[in-house]
Amino acid sequence: MGFFMFKTVHRTKIVVLVCSCIGILLLLMVRLCYLMAFQSSYYEQKAEELHERERTIKAARGRILDVNGKVLADNKTVCTVSVIHNQITQKEKVISILSEELKLPPEKVRERVEKYSSIERIRSNVDKKTGDRIRAYHLDGVKVDEDYKRYYPYESLAFKVLGFTGGDNQGIVGLEVKYEEALKGAEGQILTMTDARGVEIEEAGKRRLEPVPGKDLVTSLDLNIQSYATQLAEQVMESKQADSVSILVINPQNGEIYACVNVPEFDLNDPFSLPEGVQALNEAEEQDLLNKMWRNACLNDTYEPGSTFKIITAAAGLEADVVSLEDHFSCPGYIVVEDRRIRCSRTTGHGNQTFEQATMNSCNSAFITIGLRLGTEQYYSYFKKFGLLKKTGIDLPGEASTIMHKPENIGMVELATIAFGQSFQITPIQLAVTASSIINGGRRVTPHVGVKIVDPSGGEEILKFPEKKHIVSEQTSETMRSILEQVVANGTGKKGAVEGYRIGGKTATSQTLPRGSGRYIASFLGFAPAEKPTVLALCIINNPKGIYYGGQIAVPVVRKLFENILPYLMAKAYN
Amino acid sequence: MARAKTVANKKINRRRGDSFFDFSLLFIVIFLIGFGLVMLYSTSSYEANLDFGDSAYYLKKQILATVIGMGFMIFVALVPYHFWERFAFLGYALSAFLILMIIPFGRVANGAKRWLNIGGFSLQPAEVAKLCMILFLSSMVCKMGRKIRTPKGFLAVMLWPLPICGMVWKITSNASSAIIIFGIAFLMLFVASPNYKEFILSGIAGVGAALLIVFIISQAAAEGLDYRGARILAWLDPEAYASSTGFQTLQALYAIGSGGIWGKGLGQSMQKLGFLPEAQNDMIFSIICEELGLFGAVAVILMFVILIWRFMVIANNAPDLFGALLVVGVLGHIAIQVILNIAVVTNTIPNTGISLPFISYGGTSVVFLLIEIGLVLSVARGIKLKDL
Repeated sequence: MGFFMFKTVHRTKIVVLVCSCIGILLLLMVRLCYLMAFQSSYYEQKAEELHERERTIKAARGRILDVNGKVLADNKTVCTVSVIHNQITQKEKVISILSEELKLPPEKVRERVEKYSSIERIRSNVDKKTGDRIRAYHLDGVKVDEDYKRYYPYESLAFKVLGFTGGDNQGIVGLEVKYEEALKGAEGQILTMTDARGVEIEEAGKRRLEPVPGKDLVTSLDLNIQSYATQLAEQVMESKQADSVSILVINPQNGEIYACVNVPEFDLNDPFSLPEGVQALNEAEEQDLLNKMWRNACLNDTYEPGSTFKIITAAAGLEADVVSLEDHFSCPGYIVVEDRRIRCSRTTGHGNQTFEQATMNSCNSAFITIGLRLGTEQYYSYFKKFGLLKKTGIDLPGEASTIMHKPENIGMVELATIAFGQSFQITPIQLAVTASSIINGGRRVTPHVGVKIVDPSGGEEILKFPEKKHIVSEQTSETMRSILEQVVANGTGKKGAVEGYRIGGKTATSQTLPRGSGRYIASFLGFAPAEKPTVLALCIINNPKGIYYGGQIAVPVVRKLFENILPYLMAKAYN
Repeated sequence: MARAKTVANKKINRRRGDSFFDFSLLFIVIFLIGFGLVMLYSTSSYEANLDFGDSAYYLKKQILATVIGMGFMIFVALVPYHFWERFAFLGYALSAFLILMIIPFGRVANGAKRWLNIGGFSLQPAEVAKLCMILFLSSMVCKMGRKIRTPKGFLAVMLWPLPICGMVWKITSNASSAIIIFGIAFLMLFVASPNYKEFILSGIAGVGAALLIVFIISQAAAEGLDYRGARILAWLDPEAYASSTGFQTLQALYAIGSGGIWGKGLGQSMQKLGFLPEAQNDMIFSIICEELGLFGAVAVILMFVILIWRFMVIANNAPDLFGALLVVGVLGHIAIQVILNIAVVTNTIPNTGISLPFISYGGTSVVFLLIEIGLVLSVARGIKLKDL
């Protein structure tokens, strides 16, 4: 046996072995020191990110106010009802009460209640009263969280300007989406610790980050003007059985929009329901119909402006010096351009007339002559100078672009039709702003609804919009104002006269495409006071039945509007 | 007078019990096991409650294994260790047989086929193989006598463990246990052989080969590598493989880092709540770090240092080479597992499944570790007191 062989050499080796092991263990201790003392905060933070779960607290959305401080969009308290699977003790009772109170099919509630998840939302935007009732049952595992929901006190008023919010209180259309950043505020958070399955650990405690409420948006909309304009639009839509009526009221001096009406309008508190009697076949069609319903015709859609566009032709002609007040035009009832015979509005002809009279008569022949004198290149350069080819830059989403011929495609015939406002399309807001800029002394203003953003905790930001000077000369501007005043005083806009005020304007009656369909757009663009316009209104009646002349049906609408709002605006300005 | 009296007492003790009993070793082991059970409960209770509805599920099983292990330990400690020498080759054959039995009868758990069910208990043959290898090599080296100095004898000691290592690796797909068995053999041979040169050279060669493999893999594209290659890449940069191979390592580092100097306090670990896979098993040391901090972690390592130190004292005072080699084998087994486990948990080496002796959850492991302690105690009983 080898017992006697156990010698010093073995003992030494055992000591060497053990010392090596201890040495390695010491190195591992150094490694631990590095990880646990020097890297500790790094890993601790990473681990915390892993363990923490955020529950968001919605921030109150900023309000939207009219120019007088009336609240157009507000918040109301609503509840979100959710269930926590693990905490439910009386499942059947929970299902029956929730489906009854929330008016949901029991199968749907059961599905959510039985789903194994940390928290399952049953329904949001529940009326506060209902939420309080559910809370009163004291059901285990049912959570009722209070929350904010957008609320529009005037329901359908200014539907297409204000816009509305979706389920998560985010803006979807209109001002709500354009000023989303300012309105939304910052969500708060409740931070809780969870295990790997996401189950909250009660004893770990909570951290709370308070939400920051959104800022208020003060607009230039005037509730009084908006409501009255809406009434007028509804009246004329009904009496003329029109498809739709738009009324735009803006301040030509600075581009502030006082009112923007597009009837029919819908309830902002329920924007996702189709109007009564309309049924969608499928989801895609429903979305399509809703999108149509939400469109703001004043800026999302384009139309052929017709004779109101003669304001632009006249201003360009005056600027280019191809026409003056002394010029005379003779109209036989038509004009021949190349091989085409273009009829004038009065087939018997306007006879011999001055430039001013031609405008009063809305004589196509005269304006075609001016257009031809300008020539494509010069005419087009004025479009550019007036800002017609670009978007207006209004602070509302989805503005449509001008649809205009390319300069190389404009022949004599196209030039002639453009001169009296046909064969191209612009948005109503584009027309109103370009006309404003021509009559305000030549300053191209940016139309806007937002005026300032007010922080509830103090401080405000005045919104600034660009302005381009000298698009026409002061001289041209003055001439245009006096010609357009004559249109209302003695011309096609006669019915627009308001006693005690000097009104300017231009009518239009245009046939919609395809020609010969019998569908017309009657419109009138009016402004007051003629010598220094502070309000400009554009009324567009889409597909009226019966009499369809702008001078007959659109002008009275603006007259009624002016009769009411001019004294009101003067009084306001005086104060 | 006093001294004479002590000597007299010792003489009486020796006459009565024939030798001394190493209570210090026993107490260190009992302390480690008790501490391990506390940590095992802390680590596993939350998950056990969720998975089995019983927060003490793992604790109960571990206590049962510990009690069984204690019984074996006492029995082995009381039997003179030379009694086992005659079973050396039988043990070798038995471990081979048990490993082979896995092919037809193995039980699959955690995605690996490593267990045998025997009489209601599940047994991991790799653990049996570790013990049998210690016994087999001790006996073999003693029988070789001076031949151990010859290259032939050296090779024989190196080659005998290889079949078992290969079987553990391939059949139970447990590379870690294969490495441990080979490591035990290597350390025993190191002690048995009077030479240093071969060991230093082979040590350098081994480290060099490992570095070369790491270099090649780190240069190779990540795809096309098997899971071991992927583990090496995850070792080099666990955060880049946070959702795959680096996941467990990274979670362990989160736990260790969150512990800081003083720890979060016993029971306060967050990572054990399902974030760290195998928290009660191979990764238990990282939860110790998280709950008890650097302070606790160093204390645990020091306990193992004391244990190893105690083994050294016993081995150096063993009555004969056979006893010394038995102790060296057990020493090597425990030292290798402790070092590798802590190195894996701290991402010092690539991730491979190695449990922490006496503390990690695992029934077979604790039973066979206690049997090994029994052997060491038995060797200690053979120490003549005048040698101490």
